[in-house]
Amino acid sequence: MTAVSRPLVTAAAVARPRRLPGPGRWLLHAVVVGLMALWLVPTLGLFVNSFRPAADVARSGWWTALVPPWDFTLANYEHVLSRQGLDHAFVNSLFITIPSTVITIMVAAFAAYAFAWMQFPFRNLIFVAIVGLLVIPLQSTFIPILKLFASTGIAGSFLAIWLAHTGYGLPFAVYLLRNYMGGLPKEVFESAAIDGASPTTAFFRLALPMSVPVLASLTIFQFLFVWNDLLVALIYLGATRPENLPLTVVVANLVNSLGGETHFLTAAAFITMALPLVVFLALQRYFVRGITGGAVKG
Amino acid sequence: MGEKGETHVTRAGIVRLAAVAAAVVLTAAACAPGQAEKKEVTVIGTWGGSEQESFLAMVKPWEERTGNTVKYTGTRDLNAVLSTGVASGILPDLAGLPGPGQLVEWAKQGALKPLDDVLDIAKYKEETSPAFVDLGTVDGKVYGVFIKSALKGLIWYNPKHFSGPAPTSWDAVMATDPAPAQALWCVGLESGAASGWPGTDWIEDFVIRQSGPEVYDNWVAGKQKWTSPEIRAAFEAFGEVVAKTYGGSDTINSTNFGDAGNPLFTDPPGCKFHHQASFITDFFKNQGGAKEGDFDFFPMPDINPAYAGAFTGAGDLFGMFNDTPAARDLMKYLVTAEAQQIWVSRGGALSGNRNVTNYPDDISKRSAEILANAKIFRFDASDLMPTEMNAAFWKAMVDFVANPSNLDQILADLDTVQASAYGQ
Repeated sequence: MTAVSRPLVTAAAVARPRRLPGPGRWLLHAVVVGLMALWLVPTLGLFVNSFRPAADVARSGWWTALVPPWDFTLANYEHVLSRQGLDHAFVNSLFITIPSTVITIMVAAFAAYAFAWMQFPFRNLIFVAIVGLLVIPLQSTFIPILKLFASTGIAGSFLAIWLAHTGYGLPFAVYLLRNYMGGLPKEVFESAAIDGASPTTAFFRLALPMSVPVLASLTIFQFLFVWNDLLVALIYLGATRPENLPLTVVVANLVNSLGGETHFLTAAAFITMALPLVVFLALQRYFVRGITGGAVKG
Repeated sequence: MGEKGETHVTRAGIVRLAAVAAAVVLTAAACAPGQAEKKEVTVIGTWGGSEQESFLAMVKPWEERTGNTVKYTGTRDLNAVLSTGVASGILPDLAGLPGPGQLVEWAKQGALKPLDDVLDIAKYKEETSPAFVDLGTVDGKVYGVFIKSALKGLIWYNPKHFSGPAPTSWDAVMATDPAPAQALWCVGLESGAASGWPGTDWIEDFVIRQSGPEVYDNWVAGKQKWTSPEIRAAFEAFGEVVAKTYGGSDTINSTNFGDAGNPLFTDPPGCKFHHQASFITDFFKNQGGAKEGDFDFFPMPDINPAYAGAFTGAGDLFGMFNDTPAARDLMKYLVTAEAQQIWVSRGGALSGNRNVTNYPDDISKRSAEILANAKIFRFDASDLMPTEMNAAFWKAMVDFVANPSNLDQILADLDTVQASAYGQ
C-alpha cells in the first residue's frame, strides 16, 4: 500500500513547483495564509477575550486589548477551574466519549466489512436503509429511546448514553468505512480465502490493518461529536443523574438563567478545547494519509 | 516485506485489544450496581452560574438537617428536558418549570403532582402575592410555587448624573433634561433567539399603567386586539422612548439587554435612564463596571391615576413530578421564608415570600417593598401568552424599533397571529 502510493505523492510534490513558478507560488501561499488567518480570527478573538475582565469585554472589541495599556487577567480561568464539579465532569466526559467512540468504530468496522465483502440476502437493501438513517434528526428519537431505556432500567446510566451515541454515530461510520473497505483490492481477500482464511481472520488480519487511516479519521469525527455533545447528554442524563453529566453541560451552566456571566464561557471554551486538540494532532498524521490514500485510488 | 508484515500484526493486535477492552467495559457497565439509594432528591432548573451557587446554598441547611442530598442539574434547555421527560416518564423529583403554559398542560396530564397536601396551603397563600398563587393553581389545586421573583418597571439611573427628586409623572420623566448624557434613554433588545423581550416589558408596563388590569388580562387571554387603541397607545408611548434613545434604532436592536445599561456609567454618559427589572443590578456590577452606589432606581410612575400603584413582575415557577417523602420535605422547605432568605441575602433575587424582609442592600429592599405593596400586580404578559404569540410579540418589538412608522402593519400582523395562536 505504502509502496504504491509513495512515488505518486513524491511525483506530485516535485511536479507542483514546476507548474507554479515564482510569483504564482507566492500568490498561492498568500491566499492560503490569508484564508487560514481569516478562519482563525474568531478563535483568536475568543482567546484574547478569555484573558480580559468582563467589563472590558462588554465595553470594547477584543482587538482593542492588543495595544497598550494591557489589562489581562487570569480571573476567568481561575473561576472556571475552581468551579465545583468541573474535574468530575471532565472525567465523565472521558468516560462517555471513549467507550462511545470505541464501540461505534468496532461495530461499524464489523458491519462495513460484512457489507463490503460478505454475501448475504438483502445486503444492499440493508446498507441503503442504514445510510438512510443519516437523514433522521436525532432530536426526533429522544422520546421513544428514553421510553426504551426506562423500560429496561438503564435510563440515566453511562451504558444508556454509550448506546445512544453508538446508534447516532453508526450510520455515518458504516457508510464511510464500507466505501473505504469496498475499495480495498479484491485479490487480497481472494488469495486469503484460497489460503483458508475465514472471514474473521480476513477481517482482523487484512481489512482492519489496511483501513487504519480511515479508522483514524472516523475516530476524530466520532470523538469530537461525542465530546462536544450537549443535548444528548442533557436529555438522557440530566433529569435523573446530574452526577453523570459531561463537561459541556457543566460549562453551559456557567451562564445564569438570564444569559449573564458569559465572560466565563471564553475561558471554559479553551479548557474544553484542549483535549480534542491533542486527539486531533495525535491522529492528524493518519487523517491526512486517509484523505490522500483515497484520492490516489480514485 | 517482513517489516511490513510485522507492523500489520501489531496493528491488528492493537485493534483486537481495543475490541476486548470495549467488551469488558460494556459488561462492567451492565453489571454495575447503578441503583441510587433513595433519600436523594433530583432537581432541575434554569439557574446557572451564581444562581446555581445560591440555590445550592439555599438547600444546604435542609441537607444537613435531614441527611438527604440534593442533586441539581442546571440548564437553560429546561423545556426540552422536561417535555421529553413528561413524554417518557423519566423525570426529576422537583423542577423549575419553563412557564405557566407548561404548568397547566403537565398538571392536566397528571405529570405534575398537586401540592395541597404537601404544603401548609393556608400559610403559603398568606405569604405569597395572589398573582403568584393564581399562576400556580390549576383547577383549584396548587401545582406550582414561586421560589424567587423579579419586579419589572424600574427606571435605573446613575446618581452622579441625576440627583433630583424622582419624577412623579411619566411626562416629567420624558421631559427630563438628558444633559450631561447624550440621550435620555438606553435600550437594548438583543437576547439571542429571544431578542425583543425587553421591548415587550416596556409595552406591558405601559398597558398596565395606561389602561389597567382588565385590559391587560384580556390582552393576555387573546381577547384584546393588538390594533385596539389601548395597545396602540402603549406602542406609541414606547415609540417616543425610542426616539430619545442613545444610538438610535440600530444600537437598540444590536445591543444585548445585559449591556444596554452600561452607557449610564461611561464618561461622558451615553444616557440618563435605563428601564429594566430588578435583576439588572448583577449585570451592572459584572459587565458594566459599576460599583455599589453607582446606580439607583425609581419606580416607573403611574400614568392613569385610576390604576395607581400598578406593577408587573416575573418569577420562577417550581413544581413536583415525583411524590417521594424526601421530595415533599424539600418542597415544604423551599417555600419557607427561612429558605428564601438565604438566596435573598446572597443577592440578585427577590423572594416570592412576603415574609422575607431582610434584604442585603437598600435597592433590593425597596424593590421587595414595592413588590409586596403593589396595589395592582400582574405577571409578565408575554410569558403568559401562547408560545407562538410570545415569539411574534418579541419579533414585533425588533421590527417596531427598526421602523416605528410601520406600526399599523406590525399590529395588524400581531392580530393575525392572535387569531390562530389561541385557537387550541
